[in-house]
Amino acid sequence: MKRTLGAIAAAATIALSLSACGGGNTSAEAKGEINYWLWDANQLPAYQQCADDFTKANPDIKVKITQRGWDDYWSTLTNGFVGGTAPDVFTNHLGRYGELAENKQLLPIDEAVEKDNVDLAAYNEGLADLWVGQDGKRYGLPKDWDTIALFYNKAMLANAGISEEQMKNLTWNPQDGGTYEKIIAHLTVDKNGKRGDEAGFDKNNVAVYGLGLNGGGDSSGQTEWSYFTNTTGWSHTDKNPWGTHYNYDDPKFQASVDWFAGLVKKGYMPKLETTVGASMADTFAAGKSAINAHGSWMIGQYTGYKNVKVGIAPTPAGPEGTRASMFNGLADSIWAGTKNPAASVKWVEYLASAACQDVVASKAVVFPALKASSDKAAAAFKAKNVDVTAFTEHVKDKSTFLYPITDNTAKVKGIMEPAMDAVVSGKAPASSLTQANEQVNSLFK
Amino acid sequence: MNSTTSRAPLPATARRRRRPLTARRMVAWALLALAIAVSVLPFLWVLRTALSTNGALASQSASLLPADFTFGAFKRVLGLQSPAEAVAEGGSGAAINFWLYLRNSIIFSSITTAGAVFFSAMAAYAFARLRWKGRNAVFSLFLGTMLVPPIFTALPNFLLIKNLDLLNTMLGMVLPYVFMTPFAIFFLRQFFLNMSREVEEAAMLDGAKHLRIFFQIVLPNAAAPLATLALLTFIGQWNEYFWPLLVGSQDDVRVLQVGLGVFKSQSPQGAPDWSGLMAATLISALPVLALFAAFGKRIVNSIGFSGIK
Amino acid sequence: MTTLTKNPPAAAHKAPQRFNRGRGMAKLGDLRIAMLFILPAMIGFIAFYVVPTVRGVYLSFTEYNILGDPEWVGLDNYAAIAKDSLFWNSLAVTGQYVLMNIALQTALALGLALLMHKVAKSTLVRGTLLLPYLMSNVIAALLWFWMLDYQIGVVNQFIEWSGLSRVAFFGSEEWAIPTQALINTWRHMGYTALLIFAGLQAIPHHLYEVANLDGASPFQTFRKITLPLLRPVMVLVLVVTVIGSFQVFDTVAVTTQGGPVNATRVIQYYIYQRAFTESDFGYGSAIAVILFLILALVAFIQMKFLRGNESDLD
Repeated sequence: MKRTLGAIAAAATIALSLSACGGGNTSAEAKGEINYWLWDANQLPAYQQCADDFTKANPDIKVKITQRGWDDYWSTLTNGFVGGTAPDVFTNHLGRYGELAENKQLLPIDEAVEKDNVDLAAYNEGLADLWVGQDGKRYGLPKDWDTIALFYNKAMLANAGISEEQMKNLTWNPQDGGTYEKIIAHLTVDKNGKRGDEAGFDKNNVAVYGLGLNGGGDSSGQTEWSYFTNTTGWSHTDKNPWGTHYNYDDPKFQASVDWFAGLVKKGYMPKLETTVGASMADTFAAGKSAINAHGSWMIGQYTGYKNVKVGIAPTPAGPEGTRASMFNGLADSIWAGTKNPAASVKWVEYLASAACQDVVASKAVVFPALKASSDKAAAAFKAKNVDVTAFTEHVKDKSTFLYPITDNTAKVKGIMEPAMDAVVSGKAPASSLTQANEQVNSLFK
Repeated sequence: MNSTTSRAPLPATARRRRRPLTARRMVAWALLALAIAVSVLPFLWVLRTALSTNGALASQSASLLPADFTFGAFKRVLGLQSPAEAVAEGGSGAAINFWLYLRNSIIFSSITTAGAVFFSAMAAYAFARLRWKGRNAVFSLFLGTMLVPPIFTALPNFLLIKNLDLLNTMLGMVLPYVFMTPFAIFFLRQFFLNMSREVEEAAMLDGAKHLRIFFQIVLPNAAAPLATLALLTFIGQWNEYFWPLLVGSQDDVRVLQVGLGVFKSQSPQGAPDWSGLMAATLISALPVLALFAAFGKRIVNSIGFSGIK
Repeated sequence: MTTLTKNPPAAAHKAPQRFNRGRGMAKLGDLRIAMLFILPAMIGFIAFYVVPTVRGVYLSFTEYNILGDPEWVGLDNYAAIAKDSLFWNSLAVTGQYVLMNIALQTALALGLALLMHKVAKSTLVRGTLLLPYLMSNVIAALLWFWMLDYQIGVVNQFIEWSGLSRVAFFGSEEWAIPTQALINTWRHMGYTALLIFAGLQAIPHHLYEVANLDGASPFQTFRKITLPLLRPVMVLVLVVTVIGSFQVFDTVAVTTQGGPVNATRVIQYYIYQRAFTESDFGYGSAIAVILFLILALVAFIQMKFLRGNESDLD
């Protein structure tokens, strides 16, 4: 009866960021215990080792790592800002940090970075710049990055007679979908065994979809559609970071989204309504889709499934012959309310250094931000028999674009989520996004 | 009283009436069996999932048996599996301090239950048995709290606990529940209203004071509904998730339900550790099940506020 | 007992006097001792219900992003809500959910209670039906999320085996709300049935015997005896479940999160979204005030309509 009593309480703090009651007695000396939070449990062992190594080198500083799943991470963190119990250092996300910086929750670290001669050029291009706020101050040092590629079911590809070479050279355009749509159609199989490009294909009774669907993609379309919409020269905002105008009304974008929604109508991609529930990755493992476009942070998930052999191919090249992938990067930030800024800075710099990023690389879970460490991670993946060039290629070829960073990200998402869902589920044409776009842009007036 | 009446020999007419109903009774039993199946089968599915290897669940979704049978998920919940082993099974590599969370859950649920039931009983007694001006108005106000959307009070309550400097303490977690719950007051008042006044009045004529009446007559006579209410409250508190998450997120006060969150998706768009989550669900339900098995009979028999039986 | 309850005898009037000793205290009745009895509950009531509620009402007249200070904007939030199509949508969706949930839950629970009463007084049966209630809302929702999944859920597997086509329980706009209602019904059905069952048990058996002797049909007996005498219990059940249903949140939050499109954007979830995800606490508070008024009205109507305070037993 009072079941929801605390229920909302929880959430209560999601966006909550009262003034950081921080500061107080800051010790200039770098010693004591600092708290560090991250969300990905798969990375915990790597960072635990970093912490141990760090303490060995700095016996006066102890690092206590707390891992919290993504679902609770941000609410608990904001809760900590309000309550004064936030960690000194935490893993930060591009989608969140704008608001945190604006609310003065983050400690600028420019001075330290300059004083300690942190080489910002050593990181993969663009990653370090992402963490400079609108006020020109730096709020984090890059730790890792992710891009998008196509995970595919090797057995299904073989059955369909599609070579891995073909997978590597896909093309796409918003009119007929290029070879990308062709192989998607061919990989789609209905209940009677007819393929999507054969006569008599029953689009209402599909056993295996050529392409898996994660969802409508709300405002960013990170894994859903941005890897092809952004090959047309379209971009989410007028400039990035800190754009003030979104472009969902662009006919180029709408044509691309129409093509995407068309895949559902043709029976090549599952209906949106069927994707609410088990994750797209699980659905793939269940043999319900042949190709999934997904992020590099999911490599472990895909390669960890029993009984499914997974290959990874790069995203298709667009009408202008180039590929595109959203380039998202995480960083470690310091809470403005930390009682121990000196030690926190030291730890952040250590996390951003080759010493720690090489450790992370060796565990083959994500790609560290440092160029050299990225290569080591790729090698570590290779040692596990996972070829990750599809992800690293984007960075090498500079075919990446940055995750759109603006103000009001939560509100933009609130508007775009139902709007995109309506389009992808076929309930509204892509032109309806023009109206949503007006709503979005009115937030910036 | 019930049991005696129901066991009392039926009048001949009634007995004769029963017979033609056999077909009906069969239908009734069938319906009941269906209801039982609907209630129990999901638990079997919980067990099946908990005994599966997480990484194999998706590809064996058509199998009714555990997918790649393993006790790994249970080990994971009890903290007996290394992160590497957990990840190899497709599970969550997150750390879980099971026994500590269990202890915290027991403390949290026991204190809130004891406090809420006792204080609510006192208040309910005042609302049901004492006569004072404004009684009904105050009672309506108390009841009115059931109508306040919880989302409303969450933030101010959190700030209050923060101002009291009680974040991440058991006291801070317990405070909003320990004084009363509107439902408990409502529930017990209904019961007290129906309770016979005779004994109470006899005691009063003997000059007994209200406090004594309350402790020596009312409470003992209300043992059954109090136990029922206590169990219901305990179940509710045991399953409470968001407030403990909000106020007690640190390890030393974290309760089981919050701790189990590690089996939900760890990264955006990731898949939950279904096996771990289901194993955790089963294990965390064990204490409640045990309580239920121990007192269930009595409670099931007296659930509700059926007054004097 | 009846008379005693309704017209307390002189003895009861005298008792407090004796207790209070002082003259003229009779008018106050048991006020002092009552204050003592409700003191602890009152502390909790004021600190954790009244004060935050008052603060919430105040905030509904402000623009407040939780970061800065609340800024008084008068009725602006309310005016904006009147024009907010998502708000009206959330009301419609919530109404739909409440009706469906209450109808399902009450009908099933009443049916089960009658079954238990008539054929199976076994504690084991009743205990078994109570099992789902031992699970938390969040876990129950996640469990069904898993079992009802379109692609790899066991329920859809059975649906397919039986030759039907799979159902997107959470994803389709037609099914999303009924599915939420079904999950909550599943969890609360046995519990509600037990409440009603207890009410059935309390109906004096001799009434049925009389009815039997008079040759009343089972249906007549149900209508003339069972239902009227069950009323106080049904009122409790209805008031509690209706209010609970209006506050549906957890199951939506861990499953559909308002979607598909806006099909499950129930009012509590919408409040949560506005206030906490989008940092518009003033606006969210204003919706919460409206929800409170609606709930108060609904509860008032229920109590009046069903005359919940009286029992036909007396």
